[in-house]
Amino acid sequence: MASLKRSLDSDPFAANISSKVYVRSTKSGKVQKIVREVYLRQDIPCSSRLCQSCLKTAPRDAAGRPSPFVLSEAPAGTSVFPQGHYLVPDTNAFLTAMDLFEQSAAFYDVVVLQIVLEELRNRSLPLYNRLISLTKSEDKRFYVFFNEFRLETHVARQEGESVNDRNDRAVRKAVAWYGQHLTRTGAKKVPAVVMLSNDRDNLRKAKQEGIPACSLTEYVKQLKDGEALLDMIPEAEDQDGIKEKRVGAPLYPEYFSMSKMMTGVKNGLLHQGIFNVSPYNYLEGSIRVPAFPKPLLILGRENINRAVDGDLVVVEVLPKDQWKEPSTQVIEEDAITKNENPDAEDAGDLVSQKERKALQEEVKRTHSKTTEGHAQPTARVVGVVKRNWRQYVGHIDQSSISQSSQQGRKQDTVFVIPMDKKIPKIRLRTRQVAELIGKRILVTIDAWDRSSRQPMGHFVRSLGELETKAAETEALLLEYDVQYRPFPKTVLDCLPKEGHDWKVPQSMDDPGWRDREDLRGLLICSIDPIGCQDIDDALHSRPLPNGNIEVGVHIADVSHFVKPNNAMDTEASIRGTTVYLVDKRIDMLPMLLGTDLCSLKPYVERYAFSVLWELSPDADIVNVRFTKSVIKSREAFSYEQAQLRVDDDSQQDELTKSIRTLLALSRKLKQKRMDAGALSLSSPEVKVQMESETSDPIDVKTKVHLDTMSLVEEFMLLANVSVARKIHEAFPQTAILRRHGAPPKTNFDELANQLRVKRGLDFSVESSRALADSLDACVDPNEPFFNTLVRIMATRCMMAAEYFCSGTQAYPDEIYTHFTSPIRRYADLAAHRQLAAAIGYETVDPSSRSRGRLEAVCRNINVRHRNAQLAGRASIAYYVGQALRGKATEEDGFVLKIFSNGFVVIVPRFGIEGLIRLRDLAEPEPAAEYDAETYTLKTTGSRELTVELFQKVRVRVTDQKDETTGKRGVKMELVSVY
Amino acid sequence: MASSQHVLLSPAELAYLHDSLSLTPPIRPDGRSPAQFRPLVAETGILPGTNGSARICFADGTEAIVGVKAEVERTAQRAGDDTVYLEGGEGDEEDVEDGEAREGEDKRKGDSAWVEMTVEIPGLRDDDSGTAFLAAMLSEALLADGEFAKRLWINRRFHWKLYLDIILISPPLSYPLPLLSLTTHLALLSTRLPRLKSEGDEDPFFDDDWAAAPYLFPRTPTTTTTIATTARPPITLLVMAVGNNIIFDPSKEELAVADVALAVSVTGSTAAPHADDAEPEPGRSLRLLSIRTIDPPSRLTPPGVANAANSAYGAAGTQKMLEAATAEVEAVEGVWKAPRGGAKRVVLGALVQKVLERGGVVDEVLDALEGVDLG
Repeated sequence: MASLKRSLDSDPFAANISSKVYVRSTKSGKVQKIVREVYLRQDIPCSSRLCQSCLKTAPRDAAGRPSPFVLSEAPAGTSVFPQGHYLVPDTNAFLTAMDLFEQSAAFYDVVVLQIVLEELRNRSLPLYNRLISLTKSEDKRFYVFFNEFRLETHVARQEGESVNDRNDRAVRKAVAWYGQHLTRTGAKKVPAVVMLSNDRDNLRKAKQEGIPACSLTEYVKQLKDGEALLDMIPEAEDQDGIKEKRVGAPLYPEYFSMSKMMTGVKNGLLHQGIFNVSPYNYLEGSIRVPAFPKPLLILGRENINRAVDGDLVVVEVLPKDQWKEPSTQVIEEDAITKNENPDAEDAGDLVSQKERKALQEEVKRTHSKTTEGHAQPTARVVGVVKRNWRQYVGHIDQSSISQSSQQGRKQDTVFVIPMDKKIPKIRLRTRQVAELIGKRILVTIDAWDRSSRQPMGHFVRSLGELETKAAETEALLLEYDVQYRPFPKTVLDCLPKEGHDWKVPQSMDDPGWRDREDLRGLLICSIDPIGCQDIDDALHSRPLPNGNIEVGVHIADVSHFVKPNNAMDTEASIRGTTVYLVDKRIDMLPMLLGTDLCSLKPYVERYAFSVLWELSPDADIVNVRFTKSVIKSREAFSYEQAQLRVDDDSQQDELTKSIRTLLALSRKLKQKRMDAGALSLSSPEVKVQMESETSDPIDVKTKVHLDTMSLVEEFMLLANVSVARKIHEAFPQTAILRRHGAPPKTNFDELANQLRVKRGLDFSVESSRALADSLDACVDPNEPFFNTLVRIMATRCMMAAEYFCSGTQAYPDEIYTHFTSPIRRYADLAAHRQLAAAIGYETVDPSSRSRGRLEAVCRNINVRHRNAQLAGRASIAYYVGQALRGKATEEDGFVLKIFSNGFVVIVPRFGIEGLIRLRDLAEPEPAAEYDAETYTLKTTGSRELTVELFQKVRVRVTDQKDETTGKRGVKMELVSVY
Repeated sequence: MASSQHVLLSPAELAYLHDSLSLTPPIRPDGRSPAQFRPLVAETGILPGTNGSARICFADGTEAIVGVKAEVERTAQRAGDDTVYLEGGEGDEEDVEDGEAREGEDKRKGDSAWVEMTVEIPGLRDDDSGTAFLAAMLSEALLADGEFAKRLWINRRFHWKLYLDIILISPPLSYPLPLLSLTTHLALLSTRLPRLKSEGDEDPFFDDDWAAAPYLFPRTPTTTTTIATTARPPITLLVMAVGNNIIFDPSKEELAVADVALAVSVTGSTAAPHADDAEPEPGRSLRLLSIRTIDPPSRLTPPGVANAANSAYGAAGTQKMLEAATAEVEAVEGVWKAPRGGAKRVVLGALVQKVLERGGVVDEVLDALEGVDLG
């Protein structure tokens, strides 16, 4: 019997076709063999401006132009490559030192190979995104070369070759090809093509093959002023050899294998969730897992097992005898580990003596308890599914610097204390300790070995001196991941060509007028905070002949200017929201739109999206309609101006009268809402007054609430509800809505217990209605602030409001969305588009119909929204601190939270909270007895006091700079107890 | 389905063919020796998206392709000895020891439901009895000894489910069973399953590198499998007998005059060098898996009628019935008579012996298929 095999070589096209085969495992557990055919081409350009031959064959766009070439004809040289050079980094170069490539001092003309880009994407999405934005920036000249699709640089995997080896070979081949290709251009000075890698094996092979190659360290040393950049090459890389030397016994337990964790999670034996660190105790974390209503506690370094706040981890529940109560102690990392030596890593035991002592206190307390019911389930981290490490802002811990290192360029190890208290100290190696002391610096975490007590990181850049406005503001923006870079050109290109001269077209035949109602005749005005430039909304009211009242809310028609899926829309959806800091605003949309073309400025005609109601005199909605319109605002009031005008009886003009009508209606609307059980929550709000010239903070004021504010609030609420109903009716599956998730009842347990014990108040959370009533009942006749205090505490128990995409989920009858601030919130813009489609003004864009995409948008804007709030608050806190600088004031405060070794006081006047520890009370530290049952802390000895929860206290507020850490903060001292 | 298309041969031709095949040694129309196979063309890896595939083209123009796809499936759990308890944390070590203790015994289990086979013959419905019979015979051979399904065992909770799609792409010119069987054999030889990375009874987790995927039938015995020999998937051959002559790989004309036709399923395995056998024998040991008799088309061919009894030749009409009856009974030289009755025991025995002969036809076929490059 004979058999034959047909050979593929007979296929004339075989040379141009290759295939890539791999196994894909899907989430649902399917395992598939995937075959991708690769068609090899020869017209993929090298994109060097030196090259003419590629320019001839490069693919052209619809207009017949090739895309412009990226790599410079005269790239910069180094000491080794004086003729100039192009860089070709391999994947690990990007993985370990992305920060280097973002430098403006060096790293220009870089060829990013497709294979490298793909590998990077698999390894780290954030790094991939950073690289993509680098390739988009024109001045850095990064070019993505599709080496896998170019015939000459395509590499087929050899028998027995590992994927990594094959990819390394592909990189070397591309480098070699680039080299030969550029020589053929016949240019006078042919730049060298240099491979950048940290892989020793790859470097060795490159040397063998005669390909120019450098390790990162070698390369940076060739650069002028390279010294400063050396710090940015992370630790792990040049440590290959050293690692073997430092065989310190592992301090932390090993992680489970991924498959073991996944099996455990699927079977419900292990639990997966986001790890959160308690803001008061860095040794206590919690994790909320779907299986249990209450979060699980994770106590102690060993159980936390190298998890960092925000990581997605897998935990295992500990046996019941190890269950604990959540700590009632404040444990701050700075204080306990203050004098640790970052060099002495092999200290042996993981838990330091001091930490152990703190833990002993805990145990004593738990054991003294007779009741066992308080112990909460605890867990330990057995593995990390996904690290959520980002760049952290911090400063160098001065006490961690050895004296000898203050001078000289020797590499040194220091600790960096991150601004975020929940992040552990980061060990950093740097050669420029002297320069970095007293600076805000940006660092990243590279790794956290089992044998290292603290995570290892590297320096990214310095933001500037501590406590300078620029550095602190940037630090804030970085900490809260606010996109604050200027808008790229592609975004600005989407703006109307007329710029500030754009006007509503005169002719009603203009396409801009299509389906727009002419509302220019209405007496419309806007009411906003003082100095508001981005005016989103304006209102009007007028009596109707039938005795009813027409009320209109007119919202800036942003969707007219921002079309779906262009660069501006994408940028806005990423930014999600405008961020307001005390002295700065980071816009979601370019200035031209936000403060001019969209802004409903007075005296000019503007496009608007109007909601028009017919309301009965009792503020019942008779009907509502929505229309695109053209309006002309008669006046832009500030809240105060409007209030004065309304209160001034001599003002009897039509505009004032209409505001009065609105005010009367808004009161009725509010009453109706309250009757229906709406919650009125609270958070301390203050305003920092700035000196107008220097914008230095001079005073802090609590915000005064004016009637005109609730006027605007009520009608915006009404508009949002009306729009929500409309778009939900039109798109039941995809409407963008906003909800306050019902918080788990257990969230309120603690507060309810506190109120019952301390004030004998019954706190019911059975329904929204009951909660509202309970809150109303929480009054202390002697203390008007008490009610606000409870509301503040209740607000913290609530779930944060969030955007979501409607669908099959059940939600309350009262549906709600955001429609009224499209200039500063992306969700509103999305709602505008959906409403426009719902009223038949335009067709639905596929992007606002695809559920998956909308859900992604919602997820992003929820995060952005939260971050914007936090950044705003942090900014206020910083300025409050600055305003208090050098002053000491005595203020009233309230005890908000109580620990066995201290308590937290909130000062309403400044809207700040401060921790007062026992040791701050007197010297020596007074002994104290903490009764968790009654929330009372009794001190004896050097100072005798009894501090209770909700108690009113007198505190002295000063600013204080901690000399060891160089951190300025508000410090509170207890003056007396009322 | 009849085991062959109707052969357009006259009774006289049939009789001639039968006679020449009954000679010692038999004379086959195409001049082959009794045990000689016709040449065939075979290749593997023709369907890149499958886990394994093959195409075989026989000299008579029939051609088949087979694709094998594998899917991970959860094994239905029954309470009992096999019930899996997932220990977490400390329990694991114990588990490992346990596993070592039982290393010797094969704890892998297979189930015939893990293999699903579909056969498609052009022009026939998929529920046609002939097609169903073919599929049954092929899967019967594959699952007969229970060893094959064991290969699909991943762990106590999961297994591979194998889908075999067998398609005849030419018209069914001759009985396609051997062709389909050989193609399936070759496809299975080229089948690879992703490499398992997880351990024990965890949810399976696989290497994403296809080049690392092991063959379902590894070329060299691996130490991890408890099957110490390099077993091979079975093949089913068509063997026929005319008189006392045993003829392999019959053409459709030959089959038309077969006294008996058998589908014999055989599996071959090479004993591993380190196996415990006292005297490792060279070559492969063959094992008979199943024998099925095939209805030979000869039984369906109408008998020839002697001229004397043929009314077309002017015989009296009244005599016709009587004459016809005698024609049924008597063997007339040069007149075709369909065979009657079953196969002779002696012939059957010789046939089986011939098939299992070391270095015989089956060996030759297996060697040839082994020689096909697994691309």
